[in-house]
Amino acid sequence: MDSLGLYVLAAAVLFGVGVYGLIVSEHLMRKLFAINIMGNAIFILLVAASGPVEGAPDPVPQALVLTGIVIAVSATAFALALMVRLYQETGQATLSSRDEGDDG
Amino acid sequence: MIGFLLDGLIAAGLVGLAYQAVTSRSLFRGIIHFVVFGLTMALAWARVGAPDLAMAEAAIGAGLTGALMLVAYRRLVEDRRDAPVDPGPAKSRLALPIAIGSGLLVGVIGLSALFSDVEPGQAGQAVLADLQQVDLGNPITGVLLLYRGIDTLLEVAVLLTAFLAARALAGSESGTGSPTTQGPETPMVGALLAVVIPLTVLVSVHLLRAGSYEPGGAFQAGAVLAGAGVLLILSGRIAAAETAGLLVRMGLLAGLVSFILIGLTPLLHGGPLLALPGLWAVYFIETAMMVSIAITLVLLFAGGGGLKRGKHG
Amino acid sequence: MTAEALALIVFLPLLAACAAVAFPGRWLGWIVRIGLLPLPVLMLAPTLAVLDQNVIHLALAGHASPLGIEWRLDPLSLLMLWLNVGITVLISLHAGVSFRPDSDRGQRFWPLWLILFASMNALVLSADLFNLYVTLELVTLAAIGLIAVESKPAALRAGMRYLLLALMASLLYLLGVGLIYGQTGTLDLYLIAEQIEPGWLPVTAMALMIVGLLIKSAVFPLHAWLPAAHGNAPGPVSAILSAMVVKVSIYMIWRLWFWGAAGWDLATAANLMGLLGAAAIVYGSLAALVQDRLKMIVAYSTVAQLGYLMLLFPLASTLAFQAASYHLLSHGLAKAAMFLAAANILSSVGTDRLQRLAGVDQRRPLDVFALALGGVSILGLPPSGGFVAKWLFLEAAWHQQAWGWLVLVAAGGLLAAAYLFRVLGVICLHPRKRLNRRQHREIPNLASVAALILAVSAIAAGFFSAPVLSLISAGLPPGVTP
Repeated sequence: MDSLGLYVLAAAVLFGVGVYGLIVSEHLMRKLFAINIMGNAIFILLVAASGPVEGAPDPVPQALVLTGIVIAVSATAFALALMVRLYQETGQATLSSRDEGDDG
Repeated sequence: MIGFLLDGLIAAGLVGLAYQAVTSRSLFRGIIHFVVFGLTMALAWARVGAPDLAMAEAAIGAGLTGALMLVAYRRLVEDRRDAPVDPGPAKSRLALPIAIGSGLLVGVIGLSALFSDVEPGQAGQAVLADLQQVDLGNPITGVLLLYRGIDTLLEVAVLLTAFLAARALAGSESGTGSPTTQGPETPMVGALLAVVIPLTVLVSVHLLRAGSYEPGGAFQAGAVLAGAGVLLILSGRIAAAETAGLLVRMGLLAGLVSFILIGLTPLLHGGPLLALPGLWAVYFIETAMMVSIAITLVLLFAGGGGLKRGKHG
Repeated sequence: MTAEALALIVFLPLLAACAAVAFPGRWLGWIVRIGLLPLPVLMLAPTLAVLDQNVIHLALAGHASPLGIEWRLDPLSLLMLWLNVGITVLISLHAGVSFRPDSDRGQRFWPLWLILFASMNALVLSADLFNLYVTLELVTLAAIGLIAVESKPAALRAGMRYLLLALMASLLYLLGVGLIYGQTGTLDLYLIAEQIEPGWLPVTAMALMIVGLLIKSAVFPLHAWLPAAHGNAPGPVSAILSAMVVKVSIYMIWRLWFWGAAGWDLATAANLMGLLGAAAIVYGSLAALVQDRLKMIVAYSTVAQLGYLMLLFPLASTLAFQAASYHLLSHGLAKAAMFLAAANILSSVGTDRLQRLAGVDQRRPLDVFALALGGVSILGLPPSGGFVAKWLFLEAAWHQQAWGWLVLVAAGGLLAAAYLFRVLGVICLHPRKRLNRRQHREIPNLASVAALILAVSAIAAGFFSAPVLSLISAGLPPGVTP
């Protein structure tokens, strides 16, 4: 097995860790760690899934992952802002809701 | 053999750090683990022959995401000292089986994709063939700007949208918890900044220029430049403002607007949409994008709608 | 002409969003008008081109796929484009008064609104699997930004839950895209059909993408985030969420299923998708029946109505395509009208709890009328657009002797009648109960007029169905014969 295979195995475990974290974490920031970890696992698979072109890794999936990294940081930044605002409003940084049926 | 051992260490480190990040007792330690995880991820990218991704991951995935997480953590702690910040992990019996199941599934998918006998991607081959005619050495920059330009354009729009959405939330209570450090102003800070800031700007300009031939490009450069901005905020040179001045607004939009306008110009003489009129356009758009990316990330870090001169400025 | 028009249809609103950020002052109102109002006129060129050539390819940057990214306009995407342009412009009439451009709220709202509009146009046009991912992320982020724009706790929480689920969904989709690229070496949705055979990796890739999109389109049992998000967002945002945002991901599933996996034998999976739709119809309607807030009833009604769009998979005939596309159109118009009317009632009375709404028909007759007209189309009474869609569904099931689906469509109409008549009954059949006048807030007439125009369009769609239906039958996927 070459080293890419090793990283694919690591990606599988990372995905599992991410799913575990997403389920057991109450705090939204931990959920964001978990989602970002899952994202990195997917990025590894994206690069591993396509064969090399002229001896080097295919540039297309790399460009896709680069785009994916920027989208991930954008979404994370917005999610963090949302979390802080939620905390300011409710004193909670979790999704355990008490007033789901609030008036519009 | 040594390479394989190194890869094994990195892979094990990734898993360990990820586990620590999602389960560690204190949220702060979780953030630190997450940042180190990002840096290890950058090592992994370098090992599999993707240096562009290594740089992007180190600068954006680890560096800036970590900075944003730290500043969010600080706002949580400062905002209500009375409330418990962290409720700790919940107990769930299903968590472990679901996690193991999904990990196994992803592993089977990944390994069979890796060992399925795939032909070299047509798109990748086409990129390398077409690049022969263009004076652009880094195929990834080529993909991002020449061949899949609309992806990159919309990606800059995604970053802008994240900022606009975060700013729309800030509401009445914006300005609380500015990330400036409160320590006394020492002469060392000024001297250090006088060295570090120009150096950072130099590095980002180099990364931008390098992006056409070797690893690097607008996103990595923008993230490094944003690092300089973060330093200026931490040292109180600049601070979050309620609204953005004209200069900040122009910088914020420069990347997206110049990409769209240059992309629309070929239509005037019957050319295809988004066909860049020459390599100068690639450099121009990349520079504008670097500025926009840096300003957007700094504004997200500062947590306000704009920037102003800080109290030590 | 067509290329220029399509470019402006995507980039004009995006440039307007940038201008709205750059010049947030008193010019904002004009910037928004420039970004929205030319769009219906611009749509004429691509419409004529599709009527003439049926399918239009536009290689962006002059690089055809697999090297570059293509935009592809066919009858189905033309319909989606018209729907998005029409509904967004009409809802914008309402948003013009509920988020006045010269107010602070307006300055936060309009840039995101314009980006959401532009990104849905870009999504509908795109033929590239990864470009679809980027546009879908843009749609999601802009939509959640709009949900949370008033920073009410319930909306913040709903937006957060939506965001987490949407991010997970995107990852599943992205993994599928990566596998497809690895197997075929291309990302063009219309090229992959020729390149892949249903082996285990391509099937897994398709399944991952479709599950991700099912989460984003809130199809039962992945619907849990929708009612809170749609029910707690500001009025115009609820309207566009239910009318368009969830639909574009279902549109993507249709594309993957009928165009990307053309020629695969998907009978079992199609029945499974149909069963999910059936469960959505039954569950969504029953849940709508027990809600005590007007906007939540309308939101659960969306969960139910999305189920009909899933019936396309098992039926998969010309009639079913016409039915599902027409359902998309008429539900979009009717639901937007109902959400706007409900928002007007909410902001006028101060609450939308059903037991407090008795007698509101005397205070807000236009809104209640719009609500009722929208309801007529939702439950499929003639002569509404909803009737045409349901009738076509019945006909499609009849022709294939699929009695189960036939009974389902009929029963779904009855269930919809139950929850809608409950609402109208509480509002209109009241024993001379008067609302407290002092608690009553005046809202501009234009807000009600916007709701009414949408509701009347939903009814009018019943009269003008012929050209749309013939357009749809001109754009059937490979394998579905007219």
